[in-house]
Amino acid sequence: MQNIVEIRDLKKSYKGGFEALKGVDLDIREGEILALLGPNGAGKTTLISTICGITTSTSGSVTVGGHDIVNDYRAARSMIGLVPQEINLEPFERVINTVRFSRGLFGKRGDDAAIEKVLKQLSLWDKKDSQIRELSGGMKRRVLIAKALSHDPRVLFLDEPTAGVDVELRKDMWDVVAGLKADGVTIILTTHYIEEAEAIADRVGVIAKGELMLVEEKNTLMARMGQKELEVQLTEPISEVPMLLQSDALRLSDDGSALIYTYDTRAERTGITKLLSDVAKEGLVLRDVVTRQSSLEEIFVNLVNNGDNAEDAA
Amino acid sequence: MNWTAIRSIFVFEMFRFFRTIAQSFLAPVISTSLYFVVFGAAIGSRIEEVEGVSYGAFIVPGLIMLTVITQSISNASFGIYFPKFIGTFFELLAAPISFLEIVIGYVGAAATKALIIGIIILITAFFFVDFTIAHPLAMVAFLILTAISFALFGFILGIWAGNFEQLQIVPLLIVTPLVFLGGSFYSISMLPPIWQTISMFNPVVYLISGFRWAFFDTADVPILTSLLAIGLFTGICLAVIWWIFRTGWRIRE
Repeated sequence: MQNIVEIRDLKKSYKGGFEALKGVDLDIREGEILALLGPNGAGKTTLISTICGITTSTSGSVTVGGHDIVNDYRAARSMIGLVPQEINLEPFERVINTVRFSRGLFGKRGDDAAIEKVLKQLSLWDKKDSQIRELSGGMKRRVLIAKALSHDPRVLFLDEPTAGVDVELRKDMWDVVAGLKADGVTIILTTHYIEEAEAIADRVGVIAKGELMLVEEKNTLMARMGQKELEVQLTEPISEVPMLLQSDALRLSDDGSALIYTYDTRAERTGITKLLSDVAKEGLVLRDVVTRQSSLEEIFVNLVNNGDNAEDAA
Repeated sequence: MNWTAIRSIFVFEMFRFFRTIAQSFLAPVISTSLYFVVFGAAIGSRIEEVEGVSYGAFIVPGLIMLTVITQSISNASFGIYFPKFIGTFFELLAAPISFLEIVIGYVGAAATKALIIGIIILITAFFFVDFTIAHPLAMVAFLILTAISFALFGFILGIWAGNFEQLQIVPLLIVTPLVFLGGSFYSISMLPPIWQTISMFNPVVYLISGFRWAFFDTADVPILTSLLAIGLFTGICLAVIWWIFRTGWRIRE
Protein backbone atom coordinates (compact mmCIF):
# COMPACT_ATOMS: atom_id res chain seq x y z
CA MET A 1 0.00 0.00 0.00
CA GLN A 2 1.24 3.48 -0.86
CA ASN A 3 1.95 6.12 1.74
CA ILE A 4 -0.24 9.18 1.45
CA VAL A 5 1.27 11.09 4.37
CA GLU A 6 4.95 10.93 5.29
CA ILE A 7 6.18 12.60 8.45
CA ARG A 8 9.92 12.85 9.05
CA ASP A 9 11.54 13.88 12.33
CA LEU A 10 8.82 16.42 13.03
CA LYS A 11 9.60 18.70 15.98
CA LYS A 12 7.62 21.47 17.53
CA SER A 13 8.70 23.64 20.46
CA TYR A 14 6.70 26.50 21.81
CA LYS A 15 8.07 29.73 23.16
CA GLY A 16 9.24 29.03 26.68
CA GLY A 17 10.81 25.78 25.56
CA PHE A 18 7.91 23.34 25.85
CA GLU A 19 8.50 20.54 23.37
CA ALA A 20 5.13 19.41 22.05
CA LEU A 21 6.61 17.07 19.41
CA LYS A 22 10.01 15.48 19.87
CA GLY A 23 10.85 14.16 16.43
CA VAL A 24 7.90 12.17 15.13
CA ASP A 25 8.35 9.78 12.19
CA LEU A 26 5.19 8.30 10.76
CA ASP A 27 3.94 6.95 7.44
CA ILE A 28 0.22 6.91 6.85
CA ARG A 29 -0.98 4.49 4.21
CA GLU A 30 -3.53 5.38 1.61
CA GLY A 31 -7.02 4.19 2.48
CA GLU A 32 -6.34 3.14 6.06
CA ILE A 33 -7.87 4.25 9.32
CA LEU A 34 -5.13 5.17 11.75
CA ALA A 35 -6.04 5.82 15.36
CA LEU A 36 -3.66 7.98 17.37
CA LEU A 37 -4.07 7.13 21.02
CA GLY A 38 -2.69 9.20 23.81
CA PRO A 39 -3.54 11.02 27.02
CA ASN A 40 -4.42 14.71 27.06
CA GLY A 41 -1.45 16.90 26.25
CA ALA A 42 0.43 14.09 24.51
CA GLY A 43 0.84 16.07 21.30
CA LYS A 44 -1.93 14.52 19.20
CA THR A 45 -3.60 17.82 18.34
CA THR A 46 -0.25 19.54 17.76
CA LEU A 47 0.69 16.80 15.30
CA ILE A 48 -2.56 17.18 13.38
CA SER A 49 -2.47 20.99 13.50
CA THR A 50 1.02 20.99 12.07
CA ILE A 51 0.11 18.70 9.18
CA CYS A 52 -2.95 20.82 8.40
CA GLY A 53 -1.11 24.15 8.45
CA ILE A 54 -2.57 25.63 11.62
CA THR A 55 0.74 25.67 13.46
CA THR A 56 4.22 25.71 12.03
CA SER A 57 6.81 23.09 12.87
CA THR A 58 10.19 23.87 14.39
CA SER A 59 11.94 21.33 12.17
CA GLY A 60 11.30 18.21 10.15
CA SER A 61 9.11 17.67 7.14
CA VAL A 62 5.66 16.45 6.17
CA THR A 63 4.40 15.53 2.72
CA VAL A 64 0.81 14.83 1.77
CA GLY A 65 0.35 12.99 -1.52
CA GLY A 66 4.01 13.81 -2.22
CA HIS A 67 3.46 17.55 -1.72
CA ASP A 68 5.47 19.32 0.96
CA ILE A 69 3.13 21.08 3.41
CA VAL A 70 5.25 24.25 3.41
CA ASN A 71 6.68 24.68 -0.08
CA ASP A 72 3.68 23.22 -1.87
CA TYR A 73 1.00 24.07 0.68
CA ARG A 74 -1.78 24.64 -1.83
CA ALA A 75 -1.52 21.15 -3.33
CA ALA A 76 -0.97 19.54 0.09
CA ARG A 77 -3.85 21.28 1.87
CA SER A 78 -6.24 20.70 -1.04
CA MET A 79 -6.06 17.00 -0.22
CA ILE A 80 -6.81 17.44 3.48
CA GLY A 81 -10.01 17.78 5.44
CA LEU A 82 -9.86 18.65 9.14
CA VAL A 83 -12.49 18.13 11.80
CA PRO A 84 -11.32 19.98 14.91
CA GLN A 85 -11.85 18.88 18.47
CA GLU A 86 -13.84 21.93 19.54
CA ILE A 87 -17.18 22.67 17.96
CA ASN A 88 -16.23 25.92 16.24
CA LEU A 89 -19.09 27.15 14.11
CA GLU A 90 -20.77 30.45 13.41
CA PRO A 91 -23.98 30.17 15.44
CA PHE A 92 -26.17 32.30 13.17
CA GLU A 93 -25.05 30.79 9.90
CA ARG A 94 -27.20 28.31 8.01
CA VAL A 95 -25.86 24.78 7.62
CA ILE A 96 -25.75 24.80 3.83
CA ASN A 97 -24.05 28.22 3.64
CA THR A 98 -21.26 27.27 6.00
CA VAL A 99 -20.63 24.07 4.03
CA ARG A 100 -20.62 26.06 0.77
CA PHE A 101 -18.16 28.52 2.32
CA SER A 102 -15.76 25.72 3.23
CA ARG A 103 -15.89 24.30 -0.28
CA GLY A 104 -15.19 27.74 -1.74
CA LEU A 105 -12.24 28.31 0.59
CA PHE A 106 -10.63 25.24 -0.92
CA GLY A 107 -10.99 26.78 -4.36
CA LYS A 108 -13.72 24.45 -5.53
CA ARG A 109 -16.53 25.98 -7.51
CA GLY A 110 -20.03 25.89 -6.06
CA ASP A 111 -21.61 22.54 -6.85
CA ASP A 112 -25.07 21.97 -5.43
CA ALA A 113 -24.96 18.24 -6.23
CA ALA A 114 -21.69 17.81 -4.31
CA ILE A 115 -23.02 19.76 -1.31
CA GLU A 116 -26.23 17.74 -1.35
CA LYS A 117 -24.27 14.49 -1.43
CA VAL A 118 -22.19 15.45 1.60
CA LEU A 119 -25.19 16.69 3.59
CA LYS A 120 -27.15 13.52 2.83
CA GLN A 121 -24.16 11.34 3.68
CA LEU A 122 -24.18 12.90 7.14
CA SER A 123 -27.99 12.92 7.51
CA LEU A 124 -28.01 16.72 7.53
CA TRP A 125 -30.05 17.29 4.40
CA ASP A 126 -33.32 18.07 6.21
CA LYS A 127 -31.40 20.50 8.47
CA LYS A 128 -29.70 22.33 5.62
CA ASP A 129 -31.56 25.59 6.19
CA SER A 130 -31.36 25.50 9.99
CA GLN A 131 -29.20 27.96 11.83
CA ILE A 132 -26.32 26.20 13.51
CA ARG A 133 -27.34 27.36 16.99
CA GLU A 134 -30.59 25.39 16.59
CA LEU A 135 -28.75 22.08 16.21
CA SER A 136 -27.86 19.53 18.89
CA GLY A 137 -24.24 18.88 19.80
CA GLY A 138 -24.12 15.70 17.72
CA MET A 139 -25.56 17.49 14.70
CA LYS A 140 -23.03 20.31 15.06
CA ARG A 141 -20.26 17.74 14.96
CA ARG A 142 -21.77 16.39 11.76
CA VAL A 143 -21.73 19.90 10.31
CA LEU A 144 -18.01 20.09 11.11
CA ILE A 145 -17.47 16.82 9.26
CA ALA A 146 -19.60 18.03 6.33
CA LYS A 147 -17.46 21.18 6.12
CA ALA A 148 -14.29 19.10 6.17
CA LEU A 149 -15.64 16.81 3.43
CA SER A 150 -17.08 19.61 1.28
CA HIS A 151 -14.05 19.73 -1.02
CA ASP A 152 -13.66 15.95 -1.43
CA PRO A 153 -10.44 15.50 0.57
CA ARG A 154 -8.34 12.36 0.17
CA VAL A 155 -7.17 12.50 3.77
CA LEU A 156 -9.45 13.30 6.68
CA PHE A 157 -8.22 14.22 10.14
CA LEU A 158 -10.69 13.75 12.97
CA ASP A 159 -9.49 15.26 16.23
CA GLU A 160 -11.29 13.50 19.06
CA PRO A 161 -14.49 13.00 17.06
CA THR A 162 -16.33 11.30 19.89
CA ALA A 163 -15.10 13.23 22.93
CA GLY A 164 -18.09 14.05 25.08
CA VAL A 165 -20.48 12.24 22.75
CA ASP A 166 -23.02 9.71 24.05
CA VAL A 167 -22.70 6.01 23.25
CA GLU A 168 -25.32 5.94 20.51
CA LEU A 169 -23.85 8.90 18.71
CA ARG A 170 -20.41 7.39 19.01
CA LYS A 171 -21.57 4.26 17.18
CA ASP A 172 -23.16 6.56 14.64
CA MET A 173 -19.88 8.38 14.13
CA TRP A 174 -18.06 5.07 13.68
CA ASP A 175 -20.54 4.17 10.92
CA VAL A 176 -19.82 7.50 9.22
CA VAL A 177 -16.08 6.81 9.41
CA ALA A 178 -16.56 3.29 8.02
CA GLY A 179 -18.57 4.75 5.13
CA LEU A 180 -15.79 7.24 4.34
CA LYS A 181 -13.20 4.50 4.37
CA ALA A 182 -15.35 2.57 1.87
CA ASP A 183 -15.18 5.66 -0.35
CA GLY A 184 -11.39 5.45 -0.25
CA VAL A 185 -10.74 8.31 2.17
CA THR A 186 -7.70 7.91 4.40
CA ILE A 187 -8.69 8.67 7.97
CA ILE A 188 -6.55 9.68 10.90
CA LEU A 189 -8.39 10.06 14.16
CA THR A 190 -7.15 10.92 17.59
CA THR A 191 -8.82 9.55 20.64
CA HIS A 192 -8.21 8.64 24.21
CA TYR A 193 -10.82 5.92 24.11
CA ILE A 194 -9.11 2.61 23.57
CA GLU A 195 -12.32 0.87 22.55
CA GLU A 196 -12.68 3.41 19.78
CA ALA A 197 -9.32 2.49 18.32
CA GLU A 198 -10.20 -1.19 18.70
CA ALA A 199 -13.56 -0.74 17.00
CA ILE A 200 -12.62 1.10 13.84
CA ALA A 201 -8.87 1.43 13.30
CA ASP A 202 -6.68 -0.58 10.95
CA ARG A 203 -3.55 0.57 12.73
CA VAL A 204 -2.99 2.11 16.11
CA GLY A 205 -0.33 4.63 17.07
CA VAL A 206 0.37 5.59 20.65
CA ILE A 207 1.61 9.10 21.42
CA ALA A 208 2.84 10.23 24.79
CA LYS A 209 4.89 13.26 25.76
CA GLY A 210 5.39 14.33 22.19
CA GLU A 211 6.76 10.99 21.05
CA LEU A 212 5.28 8.26 18.94
CA MET A 213 5.80 5.23 21.18
CA LEU A 214 4.43 2.59 18.84
CA VAL A 215 2.56 2.12 15.58
CA GLU A 216 1.20 -1.31 14.92
CA GLU A 217 -1.50 -3.20 13.07
CA LYS A 218 -4.50 -3.33 15.35
CA ASN A 219 -4.76 -7.10 14.77
CA THR A 220 -1.20 -7.63 15.96
CA LEU A 221 -2.02 -5.66 19.06
CA MET A 222 -5.23 -7.62 19.51
CA ALA A 223 -3.31 -10.88 19.17
CA ARG A 224 -1.03 -9.69 21.91
CA MET A 225 -4.13 -8.94 23.91
CA GLY A 226 -5.43 -12.49 23.38
CA GLN A 227 -2.32 -13.85 25.12
CA LYS A 228 -2.85 -14.78 28.70
CA GLU A 229 -0.44 -15.82 31.39
CA LEU A 230 -1.10 -18.39 34.07
CA GLU A 231 1.16 -18.15 37.08
CA VAL A 232 1.34 -21.26 39.22
CA GLN A 233 2.88 -20.28 42.56
CA LEU A 234 4.64 -23.04 44.46
CA THR A 235 5.10 -23.52 48.21
CA GLU A 236 8.71 -24.62 47.70
CA PRO A 237 10.93 -22.89 45.08
CA ILE A 238 12.47 -25.19 42.47
CA SER A 239 15.68 -24.75 40.51
CA GLU A 240 14.55 -26.03 37.12
CA VAL A 241 11.40 -26.97 35.25
CA PRO A 242 10.68 -30.70 35.80
CA MET A 243 11.01 -32.94 32.72
CA LEU A 244 7.33 -33.69 32.37
CA LEU A 245 6.41 -29.98 32.28
CA GLN A 246 9.03 -28.75 29.83
CA SER A 247 7.55 -26.84 26.87
CA ASP A 248 8.09 -23.59 24.97
CA ALA A 249 5.08 -22.05 26.63
CA LEU A 250 6.34 -22.56 30.14
CA ARG A 251 9.11 -20.81 32.01
CA LEU A 252 10.26 -20.57 35.59
CA SER A 253 10.11 -17.26 37.43
CA ASP A 254 13.46 -15.72 38.38
CA ASP A 255 13.28 -16.79 42.02
CA GLY A 256 12.00 -20.27 41.10
CA SER A 257 8.85 -19.86 43.16
CA ALA A 258 6.41 -19.88 40.23
CA LEU A 259 5.80 -21.49 36.85
CA ILE A 260 4.59 -19.07 34.21
CA TYR A 261 2.53 -20.53 31.39
CA THR A 262 1.56 -18.47 28.33
CA TYR A 263 -1.50 -19.53 26.35
CA ASP A 264 -3.95 -18.24 23.77
CA THR A 265 -7.46 -17.79 25.12
CA ARG A 266 -8.87 -18.11 21.61
CA ALA A 267 -7.28 -21.54 20.98
CA GLU A 268 -9.43 -24.68 21.06
CA ARG A 269 -7.30 -26.24 23.78
CA THR A 270 -5.46 -24.03 26.20
CA GLY A 271 -3.50 -26.88 27.76
CA ILE A 272 -4.33 -25.75 31.27
CA THR A 273 -5.91 -29.07 32.36
CA LYS A 274 -2.88 -31.04 31.22
CA LEU A 275 -0.53 -28.55 32.85
CA LEU A 276 -2.25 -28.79 36.22
CA SER A 277 -2.42 -32.59 36.15
CA ASP A 278 1.30 -32.72 35.21
CA VAL A 279 2.08 -30.39 38.10
CA ALA A 280 0.28 -32.81 40.42
CA LYS A 281 2.13 -35.81 38.90
CA GLU A 282 5.47 -34.10 39.56
CA GLY A 283 4.41 -33.77 43.21
CA LEU A 284 4.61 -29.97 43.29
CA VAL A 285 2.44 -28.29 45.92
CA LEU A 286 0.49 -25.22 44.81
CA ARG A 287 0.22 -22.09 46.89
CA ASP A 288 -1.89 -20.05 44.46
CA VAL A 289 -2.89 -19.71 40.84
CA VAL A 290 -3.05 -16.30 39.13
CA THR A 291 -4.00 -15.38 35.54
CA ARG A 292 -3.03 -12.18 33.74
CA GLN A 293 -4.09 -10.60 30.48
CA SER A 294 -2.30 -7.76 28.78
CA SER A 295 -4.99 -5.55 27.28
CA LEU A 296 -4.44 -2.76 24.81
CA GLU A 297 -5.16 -0.48 27.71
CA GLU A 298 -2.38 -2.13 29.70
CA ILE A 299 0.06 -1.88 26.81
CA PHE A 300 -0.91 1.74 26.47
CA VAL A 301 -0.59 2.51 30.17
CA ASN A 302 2.79 0.75 30.30
CA LEU A 303 4.11 2.72 27.39
CA VAL A 304 2.96 5.98 28.85
CA ASN A 305 4.23 5.19 32.32
CA ASN A 306 7.60 4.02 31.04
CA GLY A 307 7.89 7.40 29.44
CA ASP A 308 7.13 8.94 32.82
CA ASN A 309 9.70 6.81 34.63
CA ALA A 310 12.38 7.60 32.09
CA GLU A 311 11.68 11.27 32.63
CA ASP A 312 11.69 10.91 36.42
CA ALA A 313 15.05 9.11 36.24
CA ALA A 314 16.42 11.94 34.13
CA MET B 1 -4.50 33.39 -7.01
CA ASN B 2 -7.36 31.37 -5.57
CA TRP B 3 -10.16 33.67 -6.76
CA THR B 4 -12.84 31.18 -5.80
CA ALA B 5 -11.68 31.36 -2.19
CA ILE B 6 -11.55 35.17 -2.26
CA ARG B 7 -15.06 35.27 -3.64
CA SER B 8 -16.26 32.81 -0.99
CA ILE B 9 -14.91 34.98 1.81
CA PHE B 10 -16.35 38.11 0.19
CA VAL B 11 -19.81 36.61 -0.34
CA PHE B 12 -19.86 35.07 3.15
CA GLU B 13 -19.00 38.44 4.73
CA MET B 14 -21.56 40.30 2.63
CA PHE B 15 -24.21 37.80 3.72
CA ARG B 16 -23.43 38.65 7.32
CA PHE B 17 -23.90 42.31 6.44
CA PHE B 18 -27.31 41.75 4.90
CA ARG B 19 -28.37 39.39 7.68
CA THR B 20 -27.73 42.12 10.24
CA ILE B 21 -29.15 44.78 7.98
CA ALA B 22 -30.78 46.86 10.72
CA GLN B 23 -27.58 47.09 12.71
CA SER B 24 -25.07 47.50 9.91
CA PHE B 25 -27.15 49.66 7.66
CA LEU B 26 -29.97 51.56 9.33
CA ALA B 27 -27.95 52.62 12.36
CA PRO B 28 -25.39 54.75 10.47
CA VAL B 29 -28.09 56.22 8.24
CA ILE B 30 -30.23 57.26 11.19
CA SER B 31 -27.34 58.73 13.16
CA THR B 32 -26.14 60.71 10.14
CA SER B 33 -29.65 61.98 9.48
CA LEU B 34 -29.64 63.23 13.07
CA TYR B 35 -26.43 65.13 12.38
CA PHE B 36 -28.08 66.79 9.40
CA VAL B 37 -31.17 67.71 11.40
CA VAL B 38 -29.23 69.04 14.39
CA PHE B 39 -26.14 70.61 12.79
CA GLY B 40 -27.46 71.28 9.34
CA ALA B 41 -30.96 72.56 9.96
CA ALA B 42 -31.21 73.63 13.63
CA ILE B 43 -27.76 75.08 14.35
CA GLY B 44 -26.55 75.44 10.78
CA SER B 45 -29.17 78.04 9.91
CA ARG B 46 -27.55 80.35 12.49
CA ILE B 47 -24.03 79.82 11.17
CA GLU B 48 -22.63 81.87 8.32
CA GLU B 49 -21.43 80.27 5.13
CA VAL B 50 -18.08 78.53 5.43
CA GLU B 51 -15.75 79.10 2.49
CA GLY B 52 -18.71 80.12 0.37
CA VAL B 53 -20.75 77.00 1.17
CA SER B 54 -23.81 76.82 3.42
CA TYR B 55 -22.98 75.08 6.71
CA GLY B 56 -25.48 72.29 6.07
CA ALA B 57 -23.73 71.42 2.80
CA PHE B 58 -20.27 72.04 4.26
CA ILE B 59 -20.56 69.17 6.75
CA VAL B 60 -21.74 66.61 4.15
CA PRO B 61 -18.26 65.44 3.00
CA GLY B 62 -17.01 65.31 6.61
CA LEU B 63 -19.97 63.25 7.73
CA ILE B 64 -19.60 60.79 4.87
CA MET B 65 -15.88 60.50 5.66
CA LEU B 66 -16.61 60.05 9.35
CA THR B 67 -18.98 57.18 8.61
CA VAL B 68 -16.84 55.54 5.94
CA ILE B 69 -13.74 55.64 8.16
CA THR B 70 -15.45 54.23 11.26
CA GLN B 71 -17.43 51.65 9.28
CA SER B 72 -14.37 50.44 7.34
CA ILE B 73 -12.46 49.96 10.56
CA SER B 74 -15.24 48.28 12.49
CA ASN B 75 -16.31 46.01 9.61
CA ALA B 76 -12.81 44.81 8.85
CA SER B 77 -11.68 44.44 12.45
CA PHE B 78 -14.85 42.59 13.45
CA GLY B 79 -14.81 40.49 10.26
CA ILE B 80 -11.39 39.00 11.01
CA TYR B 81 -11.65 39.06 14.81
CA PHE B 82 -14.96 37.17 14.94
CA PRO B 83 -13.56 33.94 13.41
CA LYS B 84 -10.69 34.18 15.89
CA PHE B 85 -13.14 34.67 18.75
CA ILE B 86 -15.47 31.77 17.91
CA GLY B 87 -12.63 29.54 16.72
CA THR B 88 -13.47 29.17 13.03
CA PHE B 89 -10.21 30.86 12.12
CA PHE B 90 -8.55 27.43 11.84
CA GLU B 91 -10.49 26.93 8.64
CA LEU B 92 -8.73 29.85 6.98
CA LEU B 93 -5.35 28.54 8.12
CA ALA B 94 -6.00 25.01 6.92
CA ALA B 95 -7.34 26.10 3.53
CA PRO B 96 -5.06 26.19 0.47
CA ILE B 97 -5.08 29.98 0.41
CA SER B 98 -2.41 32.59 1.00
CA PHE B 99 -2.64 35.37 3.57
CA LEU B 100 -2.93 37.85 0.71
CA GLU B 101 -6.11 36.15 -0.43
CA ILE B 102 -7.52 36.28 3.09
CA VAL B 103 -6.74 40.02 3.23
CA ILE B 104 -8.35 40.72 -0.16
CA GLY B 105 -11.48 38.80 0.82
CA TYR B 106 -12.01 40.43 4.21
CA VAL B 107 -10.77 43.92 3.38
CA GLY B 108 -12.68 43.90 0.11
CA ALA B 109 -15.92 42.99 1.86
CA ALA B 110 -15.40 45.52 4.66
CA ALA B 111 -14.56 48.33 2.22
CA THR B 112 -17.56 47.45 0.06
CA LYS B 113 -19.92 47.60 3.04
CA ALA B 114 -18.48 50.97 4.09
CA LEU B 115 -18.83 52.28 0.53
CA ILE B 116 -22.46 51.19 0.34
CA ILE B 117 -23.19 53.00 3.59
CA GLY B 118 -21.24 56.07 2.42
CA ILE B 119 -23.24 56.26 -0.79
CA ILE B 120 -26.53 55.83 1.09
CA ILE B 121 -25.56 58.72 3.37
CA LEU B 122 -24.73 60.82 0.33
CA ILE B 123 -28.18 60.10 -1.07
CA THR B 124 -29.76 60.85 2.33
CA ALA B 125 -27.91 64.18 2.38
CA PHE B 126 -29.62 65.26 -0.82
CA PHE B 127 -32.92 65.11 1.06
CA PHE B 128 -31.71 67.56 3.72
CA VAL B 129 -29.45 70.06 1.94
CA ASP B 130 -28.81 71.49 -1.52
CA PHE B 131 -25.36 70.92 -2.95
CA THR B 132 -23.60 69.87 -6.13
CA ILE B 133 -20.46 67.76 -6.50
CA ALA B 134 -17.69 69.62 -8.35
CA HIS B 135 -15.49 66.60 -9.13
CA PRO B 136 -17.66 63.44 -8.98
CA LEU B 137 -14.96 61.05 -10.22
CA ALA B 138 -12.41 62.37 -7.75
CA MET B 139 -15.07 62.09 -5.03
CA VAL B 140 -15.67 58.41 -5.80
CA ALA B 141 -11.94 57.71 -6.05
CA PHE B 142 -11.33 59.36 -2.67
CA LEU B 143 -14.14 57.39 -1.12
CA ILE B 144 -12.84 54.06 -2.44
CA LEU B 145 -9.25 54.80 -1.40
CA THR B 146 -10.36 55.82 2.09
CA ALA B 147 -12.58 52.75 2.50
CA ILE B 148 -9.77 50.41 1.45
CA SER B 149 -7.04 52.03 3.51
CA PHE B 150 -9.10 52.12 6.72
CA ALA B 151 -10.36 48.59 6.12
CA LEU B 152 -6.69 47.55 5.96
CA PHE B 153 -6.14 49.36 9.26
CA GLY B 154 -9.20 47.61 10.72
CA PHE B 155 -7.88 44.26 9.54
CA ILE B 156 -4.61 44.85 11.43
CA LEU B 157 -6.65 45.85 14.48
CA GLY B 158 -8.71 42.65 14.26
CA ILE B 159 -5.59 40.48 14.00
CA TRP B 160 -4.00 42.29 16.95
CA ALA B 161 -7.04 42.32 19.25
CA GLY B 162 -7.11 39.64 21.92
CA ASN B 163 -10.59 40.52 23.20
CA PHE B 164 -13.59 42.67 22.42
CA GLU B 165 -12.36 45.51 24.60
CA GLN B 166 -9.16 45.85 22.60
CA LEU B 167 -11.23 45.71 19.46
CA GLN B 168 -13.21 48.75 20.60
CA ILE B 169 -10.53 50.76 22.33
CA VAL B 170 -8.52 51.93 19.32
CA PRO B 171 -11.55 53.25 17.40
CA LEU B 172 -12.92 54.88 20.56
CA LEU B 173 -9.77 56.46 21.92
CA ILE B 174 -7.82 57.24 18.78
CA VAL B 175 -9.89 57.11 15.62
CA THR B 176 -13.06 58.92 16.75
CA PRO B 177 -11.17 61.92 18.23
CA LEU B 178 -8.98 62.17 15.15
CA VAL B 179 -12.01 62.12 12.89
CA PHE B 180 -13.95 64.68 14.95
CA LEU B 181 -10.90 66.95 15.18
CA GLY B 182 -10.15 66.39 11.50
CA GLY B 183 -12.45 69.15 10.31
CA SER B 184 -15.68 67.21 9.77
CA PHE B 185 -17.70 70.07 11.22
CA TYR B 186 -15.42 73.05 10.65
CA SER B 187 -12.70 74.41 8.42
CA ILE B 188 -9.17 74.20 9.81
CA SER B 189 -8.75 77.88 8.80
CA MET B 190 -11.34 78.78 11.48
CA LEU B 191 -8.98 77.60 14.25
CA PRO B 192 -6.39 79.73 16.08
CA PRO B 193 -2.92 79.42 14.42
CA ILE B 194 -1.48 77.08 17.07
CA TRP B 195 -4.34 74.61 16.62
CA GLN B 196 -4.00 74.86 12.88
CA THR B 197 -0.40 73.68 13.24
CA ILE B 198 -1.39 70.85 15.58
CA SER B 199 -4.14 69.81 13.18
CA MET B 200 -1.54 69.29 10.45
CA PHE B 201 -0.38 66.20 12.38
CA ASN B 202 -3.85 64.68 12.15
CA PRO B 203 -3.95 62.47 9.04
CA VAL B 204 -7.73 62.68 8.87
CA VAL B 205 -7.49 66.42 8.14
CA TYR B 206 -5.94 65.62 4.75
CA LEU B 207 -8.64 63.11 3.92
CA ILE B 208 -11.55 65.34 4.78
CA SER B 209 -9.93 68.32 3.10
CA GLY B 210 -9.36 66.34 -0.08
CA PHE B 211 -12.84 64.91 0.00
CA ARG B 212 -14.34 68.35 0.52
CA TRP B 213 -12.33 69.63 -2.44
CA ALA B 214 -14.02 66.97 -4.59
CA PHE B 215 -17.37 68.41 -3.51
CA PHE B 216 -16.85 72.17 -3.40
CA ASP B 217 -13.50 72.81 -5.08
CA THR B 218 -12.15 74.42 -1.86
CA ALA B 219 -9.72 72.79 0.53
CA ASP B 220 -7.70 73.38 3.71
CA VAL B 221 -4.61 71.73 2.24
CA PRO B 222 -3.56 71.23 -1.41
CA ILE B 223 -5.24 68.24 -3.03
CA LEU B 224 -1.89 66.62 -3.86
CA THR B 225 -0.92 66.73 -0.21
CA SER B 226 -4.20 64.98 0.60
CA LEU B 227 -3.48 62.26 -1.95
CA LEU B 228 0.04 61.87 -0.63
CA ALA B 229 -1.26 61.53 2.94
CA ILE B 230 -3.78 58.83 2.13
CA GLY B 231 -1.22 57.09 -0.07
CA LEU B 232 1.24 57.10 2.83
CA PHE B 233 -1.36 55.73 5.26
CA THR B 234 -2.29 52.94 2.84
CA GLY B 235 1.40 52.18 2.34
CA ILE B 236 2.02 51.88 6.09
CA CYS B 237 -0.98 49.56 6.52
CA LEU B 238 0.18 47.38 3.62
CA ALA B 239 3.68 47.22 5.10
CA VAL B 240 2.32 46.11 8.48
CA ILE B 241 0.12 43.49 6.83
CA TRP B 242 3.08 42.26 4.81
CA TRP B 243 5.04 41.94 8.05
CA ILE B 244 2.17 40.02 9.71
CA PHE B 245 2.09 37.79 6.67
CA ARG B 246 5.85 37.15 6.87
CA THR B 247 6.00 36.44 10.59
CA GLY B 248 2.59 34.88 11.21
CA TRP B 249 2.20 37.28 14.14
CA ARG B 250 -0.97 36.45 16.14
CA ILE B 251 -1.97 34.03 13.39
CA ARG B 252 0.21 30.93 13.35
CA GLU B 253 2.14 29.88 16.41
